[in-house]
Amino acid sequence: MPRFFSNKRLILLLVGVIVLVALISFSLRDRQNATLPEQLVKDVVGFGQTLFSKPTHFLTGTLSKIDGILNTYEENKHLKARLQEYASTQSELVDIKADNKKLRDIIGKQESLRDYEPIQATVISRNPDQWEEKVIIDKGTEHGVRMNMAVITANGLIGKVVLEAKFKSTVELLTTENPNFRVAAVIPGEKPVFGLIEGYDAERDELIMKRIDSNFDIKEGQKVESSGLGGIFPKGLLIGEVTKVSTDDFGLTKLAYIRPAANFSMLDHVMVANRLSKTNDGTDGKDSSSDEGEDES
Amino acid sequence: MSRFIIPLIAVVLFYLEPVFSLFSPVTIGQNEYTLVPRLVIVFLIFITVYYSRKQAIIYGIVFGLLYDMYHIDIIGVYTFLYPVICYLTAFIIRQVHRHILTVMALSIVMIALVEIFSYLFASLISLTTIGFDDFLSSRLLPTLIANSIFVGMFGYLFKQLFDKSGEQLAGI
Repeated sequence: MPRFFSNKRLILLLVGVIVLVALISFSLRDRQNATLPEQLVKDVVGFGQTLFSKPTHFLTGTLSKIDGILNTYEENKHLKARLQEYASTQSELVDIKADNKKLRDIIGKQESLRDYEPIQATVISRNPDQWEEKVIIDKGTEHGVRMNMAVITANGLIGKVVLEAKFKSTVELLTTENPNFRVAAVIPGEKPVFGLIEGYDAERDELIMKRIDSNFDIKEGQKVESSGLGGIFPKGLLIGEVTKVSTDDFGLTKLAYIRPAANFSMLDHVMVANRLSKTNDGTDGKDSSSDEGEDES
Repeated sequence: MSRFIIPLIAVVLFYLEPVFSLFSPVTIGQNEYTLVPRLVIVFLIFITVYYSRKQAIIYGIVFGLLYDMYHIDIIGVYTFLYPVICYLTAFIIRQVHRHILTVMALSIVMIALVEIFSYLFASLISLTTIGFDDFLSSRLLPTLIANSIFVGMFGYLFKQLFDKSGEQLAGI
């Protein structure tokens, strides 16, 4: 039976472990952004990654197109039924938009929390060990992507930018279990209900909206949007639909389970929402809100 | 020839991992299954067994570091894990007969080890809250099945590759 370690190797291993623990604790710090070597690695490795991801997206795109053609008849029947409804909603929307603009002009308010400039991006990779729900997109600071910006698909909000490099950036998805990931949300209505999207229930596959004032009444099926009050996200990005309401652990505030509107598997084309009305420091970021609510379970 | 082909294959596998994980999680019926592609570590295990332990450990450090910096954003997890797995493989393979099926089985066991370690690490720094039972059924098992398909398809090819290169440096 040979010995597992010689003395020299044992020392080497111990030194290695110490260095690695130091590195791990360094990278687990609540840091604002990646260091320069990390950004370089992201850009360089990311460039190679695009060479592999683009063909994959092309292939899956073609397959889903074929799938779409096969379903055309069914879909067409369904859509025709909805078309009438759509036309009337459309005309109403145009009317309301014009109205809104007129009213805004009257009160002299030009900027709206709703306005944002979309930056089109493609997902090039997903974190292969899927503990943290992170994807990497092919747009970076060079294209105007900044930390904490909202990332959306056509269906709704999917996450926010957590690390920026020059040509690539990392997006953390809403389905993460990271307790520091918060989104200021609102349930619109006569009386809007505000709360924070905090955490994800892996068993129900649903998001959890916390800190809702218990005086407000929430019903199942109501839509949830980003409120724009966090400072960085634009207002009105659809997050999902309420499926269950209960009280939180302390019985002081309400808690709602939300089925996300977007589909998180097989992401390809996403948009980064660059909000036009700017604030200096927002609570959508990890930094300014990390001091409160750490004990929240 | 083999001097270039081995890093080339490792790089290709490194890039293919996140492409495969784009398809995950897979929903079958009511349950979601997470498949984690572990292609690079399989290749490293084959390098360890059929080529050279020293080279495997160096590749392990390099690709572990890239993996950490690019995907995980926590530097040190895989940088540590990959070389340790290679070392462990070299240690075990000296005790057993070096048949292709043994090596395949060994690489599946090693993937399970990597998964369990990464689960323990993730629960330690509270990236996840799922219980061990849940981890076994929704993550470990599907991962092992998916990766054993990969090992079954490419294991023999890898062996051929290293045999052809004619440098039996293994087990030094």
